[in-house]
Amino acid sequence: MEKPAPLGFGLGLRPVYYQEILEKSPRVDWFEVISENFMVPGGRPLAMLERIRGTYPIVMHGVSMSIASTAPLDFDYLRALKSLAGRFQPEWISDHLCWTGVHGVNLHDLLPVPYTSEALDHIVDRIRRVQDFLGRRLAIENVSSYVTFTESEMDEWTFIRETAERADCWLLLDVNNVFVSSFNHGFDQASFIDAIPADRVVQLHLAGHSEAVTHKIDTHDQPICEDVWSLYHEVCPRFGSISTMIERDDNFPPFDELMAELDRARATAACARTPAHEAAA
Amino acid sequence: MKLAELQMRFQAGIVKGDNAILASIVDSRRTDRATLFAVYHDAYRMRLAEFLSHDFPVLRVHLGEEAFGRLVEDYMSAPSRQPNARWYGTRLPDFMQEMAPWRRNRSAIDLARFERALSDAFDAPDAPISTIDALRDIRAEDWPRLAFEFHPSLRLLDLAGGTAQIYAALAQEEKPLVIRQGEEAILFWRNDGQSFYRPVAEDERLALLEARRDKPFGDICALLAFQNNGDDVTWRVAGFLAQWFADGLVTRLSISD
Repeated sequence: MEKPAPLGFGLGLRPVYYQEILEKSPRVDWFEVISENFMVPGGRPLAMLERIRGTYPIVMHGVSMSIASTAPLDFDYLRALKSLAGRFQPEWISDHLCWTGVHGVNLHDLLPVPYTSEALDHIVDRIRRVQDFLGRRLAIENVSSYVTFTESEMDEWTFIRETAERADCWLLLDVNNVFVSSFNHGFDQASFIDAIPADRVVQLHLAGHSEAVTHKIDTHDQPICEDVWSLYHEVCPRFGSISTMIERDDNFPPFDELMAELDRARATAACARTPAHEAAA
Repeated sequence: MKLAELQMRFQAGIVKGDNAILASIVDSRRTDRATLFAVYHDAYRMRLAEFLSHDFPVLRVHLGEEAFGRLVEDYMSAPSRQPNARWYGTRLPDFMQEMAPWRRNRSAIDLARFERALSDAFDAPDAPISTIDALRDIRAEDWPRLAFEFHPSLRLLDLAGGTAQIYAALAQEEKPLVIRQGEEAILFWRNDGQSFYRPVAEDERLALLEARRDKPFGDICALLAFQNNGDDVTWRVAGFLAQWFADGLVTRLSISD
């Protein structure tokens, strides 16, 4: 099982930054694109992606696969995803360990699953079927969640590890989501991180979130907070050289501010991977 | 509880506000389960409202925050069935046409149709456009049988008179005008990644409708001549044709059988 080669440090490709990216060719190693934003018949989004793909590697990140839903797999969606991947040749395709609706409804959210053996069997089967259809491994991401189900029979990290190993898929570890969920549910971040099989993690996400006093919400509309930087510093040694990207989906700052965050991610990773005695010397 | 039942209850809690799902959720150390579940319930509404605000910014200004909020709530009563948020608002103009009190508001309905057409043109399928130079290869005797194919982004709508002016005024934060008596035809299309629109006169509208129905140049001229008491309209139609090329509307010429 050979993981894809690390891509370095990337950003989310968002329309508000297209012009700047095309004009300045910024020092971003790769871009992550929201798959659904480009699942359109034609026009500017696809033309922009064509141009940017000519210069940068990309990864496709979806929000609508609904891999944990009890609704049937949406093969129209999967065909469109496969077609997009065939055209733009992403390094990998990712989506979330969540569901987005049942009975034909789409709630446009990353909804939580109960950590039960029934859900595990169901999700493993679906990931395998999707991987067979796409002809490649998926990378599955842990989501931020706000509720704990009485039905759950295991920890989130056990559920994720079992999912990855039984479905034989990659993992996308969202550091911010670990932080947000650990606050909301009161679990130990280290327990989560230590349980994640490092050999399956192909990518890390960093992002900002919002505070709601009694809970935190994964909004991607703020800079990365110091606690998440600190957690990123802690997780880096465990995963070695790994593709890392910053998500920003609202309240967009000037592009230079994202570049500054990306430089900080580079520096944090370099520092975290340097053994203490070398850093001191 | 089985996963399918839990997901059904969770969805009903978000869409309809049913409380049954709360029995499957535990309080956190800091707050109660209802507050935590409300994160999903509220985010759903905010997200759908954002989709509509993004796709219908001028309609929102036209209606004002309060009325637009009511429209969003009304439209939300049927949940989204689109895997892609891009298509969530597609039915909004039809919904307004069908539902009270919106169906009485012609200017709002036509502004919604206007903005929908701009969005549809924006990401319609691609096709290479043809330049006016392509006409050089057409022999004089073939002109009457000259037929046209148009860019897939082209939309031609009949709207309440003044809709385009209202749109332009509101988009530039100017005082809006009121709709006029009668209708106006507005042409929408995309060129070089950007959506455009312009009003078209009645004879150009007719020429476009016929051309899109595969009627050749000769037939279009004959129809317009008939409508103009037999006057020769060939140069007028040729003028339309030149403008269609300049706009980037024509993708292919052919000689019909």
